[in-house]
Amino acid sequence: MLALVIFGSFFVLALAGIPLMFSLLATTTGIVVAYGMQYPLESVFLSFIGGVEPFILIAVPLFVFTGELLAQGGVGKRIVEFANVLFGWMPGGLGVVTVMSCLLFGGVSGSAIADTAAIGSLVIPAMLARGYSRGFAAALVSVAGTLALLMPLSIPFLVYAFVSGVSMRTLSMAGLVPAILSAMALIGVCMWHGKSTGVDPGGKPSSMAAIWQAGVSAGPALLMPVFIVGGIWSGYFTPTEAAAVAVVYGLAVSLLLYQDLTPKDIPHLLLKAFMTSATVMLVIGATGALAWLITAEQVAQQMANWVSSVAHVKWVFLLMLNVALVLLGIFIEPLPALLMAAPLFLPLAMAFKIDLVHMGVIMTANLAIALYTPPVGGTLFVAAKLAKASIGEITRHLWLMMAVTFSVVILITYVPSLTSWLPRLIVSWG
Amino acid sequence: MSVNEPLPAVPRPLHWLAKAVDWSVILIGATLITLVFTNVVLHAFAKDFAWMTELGELLMVWVTFLGGAAAAQRGGHMAISEFLDKLDVTRRRQADAAIQLFCMVVLGVLLFYGVRIVIGGWDNVLTTLEWRMSWQYLPLPLGAALMLIFIGWDLMQIVRGVPRELRYPQD
Repeated sequence: MLALVIFGSFFVLALAGIPLMFSLLATTTGIVVAYGMQYPLESVFLSFIGGVEPFILIAVPLFVFTGELLAQGGVGKRIVEFANVLFGWMPGGLGVVTVMSCLLFGGVSGSAIADTAAIGSLVIPAMLARGYSRGFAAALVSVAGTLALLMPLSIPFLVYAFVSGVSMRTLSMAGLVPAILSAMALIGVCMWHGKSTGVDPGGKPSSMAAIWQAGVSAGPALLMPVFIVGGIWSGYFTPTEAAAVAVVYGLAVSLLLYQDLTPKDIPHLLLKAFMTSATVMLVIGATGALAWLITAEQVAQQMANWVSSVAHVKWVFLLMLNVALVLLGIFIEPLPALLMAAPLFLPLAMAFKIDLVHMGVIMTANLAIALYTPPVGGTLFVAAKLAKASIGEITRHLWLMMAVTFSVVILITYVPSLTSWLPRLIVSWG
Repeated sequence: MSVNEPLPAVPRPLHWLAKAVDWSVILIGATLITLVFTNVVLHAFAKDFAWMTELGELLMVWVTFLGGAAAAQRGGHMAISEFLDKLDVTRRRQADAAIQLFCMVVLGVLLFYGVRIVIGGWDNVLTTLEWRMSWQYLPLPLGAALMLIFIGWDLMQIVRGVPRELRYPQD
């Protein structure tokens, strides 16, 4: 009953448009007061600060800042040029370039919104010029942009590692195979679309000299994830330190090498990144306060009992998890949704003996789908704005892409080796 | 008031307060990056700052609450606005006013208990830095007070009938 009151109050406030931080704090304090619970309200607010301060979370604003630097600093442009000479000749070539550019840029930014905005602003005008419809271009960018969330420097992975206690080293590699599988599925859709509509039937492959030239130009940016993830894997950096190294690397590439940014741009980008992160961190802190109440009142245990009475077997639980996460993600951004869902689902996952790294990939992949599920979604809105397309136009092209990406998510959910294989392989080498 | 009419002038103290908050966020953010990166460089010489974790966490709390105040100036806090966006102009204005009022009540509670937490932490010290714990808690009431000021100003503008697109031109 208390669980219903907690989640009901929160959703009523949040859907009424009250910012999430205030909805969460009002729900927590309101319930403590209304139920006459004997906890001092100072405990609620100490949990709020406690949710903001962990050292590992410093990586969040630092990676957001790196994403801003790279997006504004000409990295996206060079990645698109590189992908174009490699894949532009294939049927649906420009679509394939979009998917590969999002995958590669996602590897350096770790943010779906940054990926969608940076790559979308470059490829959408080119797609429209080649004759792709606005709806298809926007749908593809909104889906491909979310590949960033499964790449090694994914910001949701970092937050999941913090809440679940799993190693960021392992998690950083666990999403790579699912990301590549999703990219392959989307490339299949692009090739079919390019050929069947005749809009982009393909052409001649680029010369080795052109590939080399574009590779050299994009190389410093493409090497960044190798360098950063290598540092984490070797144990030389913690994830937070890796984020600081990524910032310095991003500054060097954007200011000194490509010179698409000037030192004057930096304060504005710093403010934008830290302000954006602050809004996320405050929701994380407020979720921490609600999680404290949920733990103190054993609500998670009651929920776990209810779910286990409905889902007796692992596959039913996983199916419920997929549906619940997509529904939650439609309304709430991936990071706060992850923080809200983790305390409820992790104990159940452990009860069903699901590997927590696998669980992290499942949760992130589902929340990524929610980012482009109509009628609302972060990457959906960014892509719609860039392509000047209506949500209706996008939706017509989105269903096929959603079908293939959801198939990949189901595959990831029920075949754990797809996520565990690569980290195990690297451990066996190291 | 229509979109073409000039925006009521922001009082000078409020303008400078907003600037001060923005530059504090920039400076603390830059300090945080510099400190963490310097610590990585020190690893190469088998050294590190013993106080890095504690100072990093303290700066993180400061930059988060001040960043929250900077976001409040711009109406940038994360919210589900899809249903609000469907309202007509008059109802939207009423809803915006009610939401800002609600947020101010929550911030008032946060400010009250934040001050109590700061006073309560006065006798405790951080383990490595040996600074008073209150420095770690101070951003809570300070951030709440700053957000109260910015949201209060926004509420006044709503009441005066300033349209949303003028209050938040970046929307």
